[in-house]
Amino acid sequence: MLGPISAEELGLVAIHEHIGYGMPGSELDTKWWKTPEERYEETVPKLRKFHENGGGTFVDATGICNGRDIDYYKSLSRKTGVHIVACTGFVGGDTALPHFARASVDYLARHFIHEITVGIGDTGSKAGVIKVGVSRGGRMTELDKRIYRAAARAAVATGVPILTHLAIDARPAIDIFNEEGLPLDRVLFGHVDDGVNAESTPDTWIIEQGGRLGFDTFGYETELPDPPFWARPRKDRMEHFLRFVQGGHADKVLASADANCSPLGWPGVKGHTVNYIFEVLIPDLRANGVDEATINKIFVENAADFLSIRN
Amino acid sequence: MTDTTTSTPTVNTVLGPVPADELGVVAVHEALLSVVPGAEHAYDISMDRAEIFEVLAGKLRDFRAHGGGTIVDSTGMFHGRDVNLYEALSRSTGVHIVASTGMGPEEMLGGYFLTPQTNPPTPWPAEKFADLFTKEVTEGMVVPRVERRGAAGLVASTATSEGMTATDESLFRGAARTALNTGVPVSIRYGKDALGDLGVVLDEQLPAHRIVVGGLDRRDAAAAGAPLEVAQRGAFVALDHVGLDDDDAYLTDRERAALVLDLVKAGHGSRILLSSNAIGVAKGQPDYDLPFSYVVSKFVPFAKLQGLSDEDARRILVDNPRDLLTLR
Repeated sequence: MLGPISAEELGLVAIHEHIGYGMPGSELDTKWWKTPEERYEETVPKLRKFHENGGGTFVDATGICNGRDIDYYKSLSRKTGVHIVACTGFVGGDTALPHFARASVDYLARHFIHEITVGIGDTGSKAGVIKVGVSRGGRMTELDKRIYRAAARAAVATGVPILTHLAIDARPAIDIFNEEGLPLDRVLFGHVDDGVNAESTPDTWIIEQGGRLGFDTFGYETELPDPPFWARPRKDRMEHFLRFVQGGHADKVLASADANCSPLGWPGVKGHTVNYIFEVLIPDLRANGVDEATINKIFVENAADFLSIRN
Repeated sequence: MTDTTTSTPTVNTVLGPVPADELGVVAVHEALLSVVPGAEHAYDISMDRAEIFEVLAGKLRDFRAHGGGTIVDSTGMFHGRDVNLYEALSRSTGVHIVASTGMGPEEMLGGYFLTPQTNPPTPWPAEKFADLFTKEVTEGMVVPRVERRGAAGLVASTATSEGMTATDESLFRGAARTALNTGVPVSIRYGKDALGDLGVVLDEQLPAHRIVVGGLDRRDAAAAGAPLEVAQRGAFVALDHVGLDDDDAYLTDRERAALVLDLVKAGHGSRILLSSNAIGVAKGQPDYDLPFSYVVSKFVPFAKLQGLSDEDARRILVDNPRDLLTLR
């Protein structure tokens, strides 16, 4: 948000998070409104704690029409010392408003490239990652595919990586990336650990094709007092993750909590923050025998390798 | 909402309630700032506020110079509506501005209403839309995530052109319930079937005289006799593409004038509304910058030459929209 930095400076990276996410249109419903005072009050302590815990970089995966607010992110970054990387792109076709939903691949690619190379709106800040995703229903829609193709072209043109919301229906996605000549290690197939879709996500096949896997909904657990519908038992998620970490794929996985600092158009999940990474996830990994070098690889080296702009 | 037995009938404008008799000549179906949802984020579209203000102020002054009194921005709550801008424009130009709540068709909605974060992602039902729109009248129109301002004066919705979808129907029913709850009128732009779509609103027990049906100068509707039938049911008939003279899907102005005279002759002079669906400033869509004054300065004089009486002209330009917009 505050300009390009060297990959060495990223530090420990939370690869898939949200300062605040809301479905497009939620801004019209006052039931979700909070004052700016409340927003900062909910958000700043979480980012400060992230920084104190040793967190270096927060990747915000909030799409263009989901309440992405660059000026706000800049102020948060400057005041907390956390690097914030914002994205261009869309969480899924069903979060792209009509102007973009009607647009051609070419227009969408130009829009993404502009946000990566020139800047987002009048903020002067450049997007560091491209968000794409599968619409509700679990099958890629025609619009989802148009967005994936545009994202692939923008990734090839700029060297910025792609981060996906959901990795189900991966075959058409990988076909598109291959057709556009994008190396698959530039794509993080996210939410492979999600409670609803994990069973039907071809995780091993994605790795075989050369993609990276995002275990990035850590903390959305059925053990929570009021779990969301995408929650999963903690043990199942950890076993799933360890199969890849300890099965020779530690260099292909990334992990995050997909938490909202201050949700914009939904209640959020009480008590779930980005700091789950430090408070639960990393201790759990240690308890399961994952060594420090591997933890460093997942949260620092893999993230730096993925986020580095490849020209 | 307003007790018409003891107080002056009023209309909700962006600067507050105005006595209905002060509206003057009204354009009921126009757009001030019209933004295709999402276009405000587009890399190639500028949203220069000062420039937008100047363009709109110029058009409103032209409207006023030709005898216009009130513009209704009938684009609803999610198509570029900017209440603060409209307040400043109204103060600056002296034109009354009535802003609208409502949304539609389905394609124009945000995912919040269509694929909410629930499992399954069930689209919003009529009752939730009714609540959202009603609050825009009773509590004020939203400036997203910032504040509420003045009350909406109209609730507007549009059906999908290929035919009303399930969510369009929820929007129409929600709009009808909003009108029943608050006393503002309903504007509908039908999709494929003018009478069928009107029937959805009437089914909510909203009296027909609280409804304006737009787009009745579409060639398909006119050929099917829809304008006359809508008038017979008691709803307002909006011939609201006045000035659009080169589109095969719509009547020409000459045909429009003939239709106006036919409706008057059939005894429905009190049901006719004229407007242009002009766009003051268009973003994310082609410009359509017909002057807001076109109806009053060009079309009505032409219709008079064709035989429209001064009395009927005044009724169509002043009395009918006043009756529609007055809070009941």
